[in-house]
Amino acid sequence: MRDYALQVATWTFSWLAPRSQREAVLGDLLEEYALRANAASASAARRWYLRQLCASALPLLWTRLTRSAWLSTLGVALCAYLTVGVVELIVNWALASSAAAGTAAYNPLGMFITFPMVVLIGYFAARFRRAAPIVLGAIMLLNVTAMTLWATESLPGWYRIAYFLVGPAALLIGRALNSARPAR
Amino acid sequence: MLLAVMRLGSNAYGVMVRREIENTTGRDISIGAVYATLVRLESKGLIKSFTGEPTAERGGRAKRYFQMTADGEGSLRNTHEIILKMSAGLKGLQAT
Repeated sequence: MRDYALQVATWTFSWLAPRSQREAVLGDLLEEYALRANAASASAARRWYLRQLCASALPLLWTRLTRSAWLSTLGVALCAYLTVGVVELIVNWALASSAAAGTAAYNPLGMFITFPMVVLIGYFAARFRRAAPIVLGAIMLLNVTAMTLWATESLPGWYRIAYFLVGPAALLIGRALNSARPAR
Repeated sequence: MLLAVMRLGSNAYGVMVRREIENTTGRDISIGAVYATLVRLESKGLIKSFTGEPTAERGGRAKRYFQMTADGEGSLRNTHEIILKMSAGLKGLQAT
């Protein structure tokens, strides 16, 4: 197979296919390519091969992503991170709307309300991937560090410390709760 | 996919599964879609796989054979029974 397009297609197939099936996928393609080249023509077999690549790319990529342990853990962690962000936005908005709350951004009440929700998010993230709350905790720590280093306004000391501790602690509690649930 | 693996018996590997589905249903199916489904079925324990011997016509690459498991056969039987029950008496579905 000296055809440049087919070589690129074969390389793409080998990258897309899950590692456990890679040899079998490439072997199957080569076997059927040879059968088609003998039965019809080399150009028809070539068209079939390239069509196969177009039609196979998405299912193979999806399989590769969903079977990759660290990628799916990262995916679950990022989804959970987005959920935490949405929860924080809603809580801050609700506090800012209430007249009694005062300045919403540095309100300890916000943390008290958000805490059990983050525990719950950690719990459900761990149900999908056990390591997801830890990855999410690391993302949150990075985020808070970046916020602390590059914040344009001065944050209260208690707020920084609490922010460093509350999010990861809530996630670890959620993970521990998930581990403690009785097996079905 | 399970039916194709069952029909092919000991000769169920990627090329044959793809061809079986294509010949039986008349639908063109990509090798990627075949493997994506086979991997998912294997992770659910409905089929199992083993590696065959490498052959020259495959560029020295081995075939991966798929076999039904007892769970797979049970699941297939169950689905088949449900389809038969749900379609019983439906005149529009009777073969002409």
